[in-house]
Amino acid sequence: MSQRLTHTLIQKMAHFYPMAKRWLHHFHGGIFPQYNKSLSLQQPIKETIFPEKLVLPLKQTNGQKIELLVQIGSYVKKNQCLAQAAKDNKKGVIVPIHAPTSGAIEAIENAPFPHASGLETLSIIIKPDGKDLSIDNVLKVSGQAPSHPQQLKTILLNAGIVGMGGAGFPTFAKIPNNVGQIHTLVINGAECEPFITCDDLLMQTHACDIIQGAVMVANALGAENIICGVESNKPAAIQALQKAASGTNITIKEVETVYPMGSEKQLLQELTGTEIPVNTHAIDNGLLMFNVATYAAIYRAVTLGEPLTRRLVTVAGFGLKSSYNVFALIGTPFETLANAGQPTQVIDYPLVMGGPMMGFQVPNNQVPVIKTTNCILVNPPETLATEMPCIRCGECMEACPMNLLPQQMYWHSQAHEFDKVEQLNVFDCIECGCCSYVCPSHIPLVQYYRHSKSAIKELRTEQKAAELAKQRHEFRLERIEREKQEREARLKAKKEAVKNRAANPAKDSSESSSQPKKPSAAAAARAAAAKRAAQAKKQPPEESQASPSETTPSTIASEAPRKIPAARQKAIEMAQKSAAAKTGSKLEPTKDPRVSAKRAAAIAAAKRRTQAQKSTTETAKVSETINHENKTLPDKDPKEAAKKAAMSAAKRRAQAKINTDSTPPDSIEKQAQPSSETLESKPIDKRQKAIEAAKKRASEHKDRQAKQQENA
Amino acid sequence: MMAAIIIFVSLALLFGLLLGYAAIRFKVEGNPVAEQIDKVLPQTQCGQCGFPGCKPYAEALSKEETEVNLCIPGGNEVMILISEITGLEPKEMDEKVTENKPKETAYINEDVCIGCVLCIKECPVDAILGATKLMHTVIQAECTGCEKCVPVCPVDCIEMLPAKVTVENWQWPEPALKPTDHTVEKNKIGAKK
Repeated sequence: MSQRLTHTLIQKMAHFYPMAKRWLHHFHGGIFPQYNKSLSLQQPIKETIFPEKLVLPLKQTNGQKIELLVQIGSYVKKNQCLAQAAKDNKKGVIVPIHAPTSGAIEAIENAPFPHASGLETLSIIIKPDGKDLSIDNVLKVSGQAPSHPQQLKTILLNAGIVGMGGAGFPTFAKIPNNVGQIHTLVINGAECEPFITCDDLLMQTHACDIIQGAVMVANALGAENIICGVESNKPAAIQALQKAASGTNITIKEVETVYPMGSEKQLLQELTGTEIPVNTHAIDNGLLMFNVATYAAIYRAVTLGEPLTRRLVTVAGFGLKSSYNVFALIGTPFETLANAGQPTQVIDYPLVMGGPMMGFQVPNNQVPVIKTTNCILVNPPETLATEMPCIRCGECMEACPMNLLPQQMYWHSQAHEFDKVEQLNVFDCIECGCCSYVCPSHIPLVQYYRHSKSAIKELRTEQKAAELAKQRHEFRLERIEREKQEREARLKAKKEAVKNRAANPAKDSSESSSQPKKPSAAAAARAAAAKRAAQAKKQPPEESQASPSETTPSTIASEAPRKIPAARQKAIEMAQKSAAAKTGSKLEPTKDPRVSAKRAAAIAAAKRRTQAQKSTTETAKVSETINHENKTLPDKDPKEAAKKAAMSAAKRRAQAKINTDSTPPDSIEKQAQPSSETLESKPIDKRQKAIEAAKKRASEHKDRQAKQQENA
Repeated sequence: MMAAIIIFVSLALLFGLLLGYAAIRFKVEGNPVAEQIDKVLPQTQCGQCGFPGCKPYAEALSKEETEVNLCIPGGNEVMILISEITGLEPKEMDEKVTENKPKETAYINEDVCIGCVLCIKECPVDAILGATKLMHTVIQAECTGCEKCVPVCPVDCIEMLPAKVTVENWQWPEPALKPTDHTVEKNKIGAKK
């Protein structure tokens, strides 16, 4: 009784102190705008309008893949599934898209869609045939109410139901997996935005659907209480709901008419007294809330197996002679609906999706109705109030329903001090627009917060990218350093081996040759290289991860050569080849059959190479002698010849390698002695050849010098 | 007299040990100032400062061996941050820095690419894929936009393109910059009547 008295008292007070109305509700702030709901409320719900084309944007949650199930030209029936989440989509907050009516797929192309950015997105465009042929119970439901959240979730996913209040988050993803996680289910019938009446009319006409839908969800989730909050300015809706809810445990609560009562956090606070803490969701607190339209869609999906393909949309505004509500097909262009309301003038101004407080101007009036389109606002443009400096009156702070400090956030946002804006909890801002509404300086405060939010998000991604770049750069430096060290280590080892060889050549020569000769330094070096080759084969080295550019052409060879560092192997080959090349074909094959095979290949390669060289250069003497021994006389282009020679040399080398490596490599030198006995017809040994090569090279060098002098 | 000496000697010993322990226990690895500077640098590793990467520049700055205004991608903002950290005098940017230059990433025209691997060697973050005589391509997510690969390309097939605006990375415009875009303001008219 006393409550009622205070209520009337405060309402009386509001005549001379309007803000007294704020004492009547439980959350902070709020505003009392002109509602203009009567514009569209009186008319009955209009018949569905079939437009010339339906546009179904594929864009849903950020960056998630969707898979098309239809092609251009294919004929689809109403309720047919057109696209669904890609199978490799792990996150799975994406719902299927269904055909709102029957018709042919005209195109799948980029088309504008309702987003403040004005960007286009890939959309399915259907040309309705007007027959409206449908597939009944496309979801194949039994009509039985699901008894477990998982069953319910599957139906809701297949039905493509998303939150129809405005956020558009997939409903199935919002529902918890287990029974008993939710104790109170809330029906949101507040609908606090001016102009919008679609929820009001839905409650009036489909109260049973809403109530049944809520009961189904509550049963599946094991929720004990169901509360429905409806603003006091919808008496007809309250009456209809109360009638429908008789016999169930649903409590219909009338809440104060204040903007933003329809916001989730505000309505929950009003109905349950629980203020949702920062960084938690209602679900974490055992509460779950859906919009009335969502419950109605759930009901239809569960009992009739009908996916979400149409929704009640308010088409209202001062630009229309008759504002109305309509069950619009998803995908109907805005302009079609706006023109059906007898516009007072040609609609050459941008329409607004949503209400005047939170809605945004669409970039193109051809954008389609989507599942979250509750209102199309047709208000002709009016002159803007000029923005004036902030006078620090603090009105915005008084009005903020989230208890934030809009003025502080505005200052920091203006100064681009986004870290400070973030500290002021800008991410808790629900962008309701109360602050902008009350601002006497007409500062578009919400725009600043929206900008700050996206700037902060951008900064975060930049930071992440910078961190990644840093890691990759450091890794690269480390890799380069490691490769360098490996190279140096190899070089050092090689040099040492050469030194060792040079230091005790006598021992070497006695080991490897039957007829010791005077060893020249160059020959010793080459011999050392050969020995190293043997050693390398003996012990597979650790640093075998040489860079790919260094790999030899002998990849066809068996396992063994792969273990040898490629660079080293190459060096060995080069040494051997050059030795062979210099000595030329005068040499006979060595005693060891394996070595001899290799050598033969090298010699052949050298022959070809020198042949090629010969044809390019005029300097003759050395090459002439070789030419005598060469049977093949290449008349072709010298370059081609060289290429051919190189190729065959590579082939032979690889072949030779297979031969050599198939036996334990350490046996090369040891076997040299016995094999020399068996193959006495080829008496000249490696060492001797090397020496000869050195000699020859020296003479070549002399020749060249002489020639140069002549030329000079 | 004796007592005083003993007291002071023991005190000196005590504090000496304490300091010695603290020096080991609370030893700071690396250069904290350099780390701090490295954090504010944009990590494009572009080398436009004359150092081979962001970290060397940060280290040189921490030793006060170089100027604060060398980071071109960072611009004035980073210059101010650096001067705040190091305590060095802020300086005007050397070159004309294009403020708020949108982030660009490298794109390889794959039809023209000859597969010379020069850009791969140049890329400071290994963001270019490819092999000798095979087509190269840039991993967009990892490209820092340092433009190092552009001059080395012998066939000029690398192009710097601004990131595409998608619904994901689209930003609400700043109201102060676009006074005609006050969506909320415009919509409010209906509510206020």
